[in-house]
Amino acid sequence: MRQKELKLLATFHTTTDAMAMEKACRDAQIPGKILPLPRSISESCGLCWAVPLTEEKRFRNFVEEKKLSHADYYYMEVF
Amino acid sequence: MAVIIDAAGKACPLPVVLAKKAIAALEQPEEVQVIVDNTTAVQNLTRLADSLGAQALTHQDSEERFTVSITPGAGTIDKAAGRNDACQIMGQAGPTVYAVGSNKMGRGNDELGGVLMKSFIYSLCQLGDKIPDTVIFFNSGAYLTAEDSPCLEDLKALAEAGTDIITCGTCADFLKTKEHLGVGRISNMYEIVETMNNAGKVVRI
Repeated sequence: MRQKELKLLATFHTTTDAMAMEKACRDAQIPGKILPLPRSISESCGLCWAVPLTEEKRFRNFVEEKKLSHADYYYMEVF
Repeated sequence: MAVIIDAAGKACPLPVVLAKKAIAALEQPEEVQVIVDNTTAVQNLTRLADSLGAQALTHQDSEERFTVSITPGAGTIDKAAGRNDACQIMGQAGPTVYAVGSNKMGRGNDELGGVLMKSFIYSLCQLGDKIPDTVIFFNSGAYLTAEDSPCLEDLKALAEAGTDIITCGTCADFLKTKEHLGVGRISNMYEIVETMNNAGKVVRI
């Protein structure tokens, strides 16, 4: 049975920002997955971007370099 | 003496339709041989036989010719003729079926629709013991069950948890995903209609 794993979740103020993050990461081949925002987190946009912890450093550097808009970061166990 | 149906060259789901009609018309159990020209039809006929409690044996006559011999078991003819009380109860609790006719959720913006669908499929996996019994994919929904689907991981988890993931064979063939199916199995319109008709609830996405 599939197990949840701890991942870095990036949240967003807008859906457009979430979709821009997905596109940028996909183009740069940085692993990640768009997910519905877990109910325990409150944010304007109902989507989040989940990154495996093994890619965290590369992802954070990428976000800073490209100045990708996001709201906050969380760590949470997700599929 | 076997009943022989030549369904070569006939598009899905005709081979299954013709086979089922022939079995239903039998006066006594006897072998029904169906000639087809592709392996999808062989698989569909084998599944039909299983669902009717019959035995199917396939012989490959040549590169594009297969003979599927269906031997009825007890109750096969009655089941094929629809004389089966389990399927004729209306309005009762029954299987939950999701019908996904697109790889986009909603209309108006395709980019948004694609993102929503990924999110939807992920959420479907979170239903625990309330996951659907069957999810049917057709038209561009067939892209979602292909090897390169962005939802593959989630759909595989759903299948592992017991959901029957089926993709319309005609759609998979047209969209060229049939040879690259990543999860579940290929089905036909006959089974799709039957599945929806026998469901307690059908959710159309």
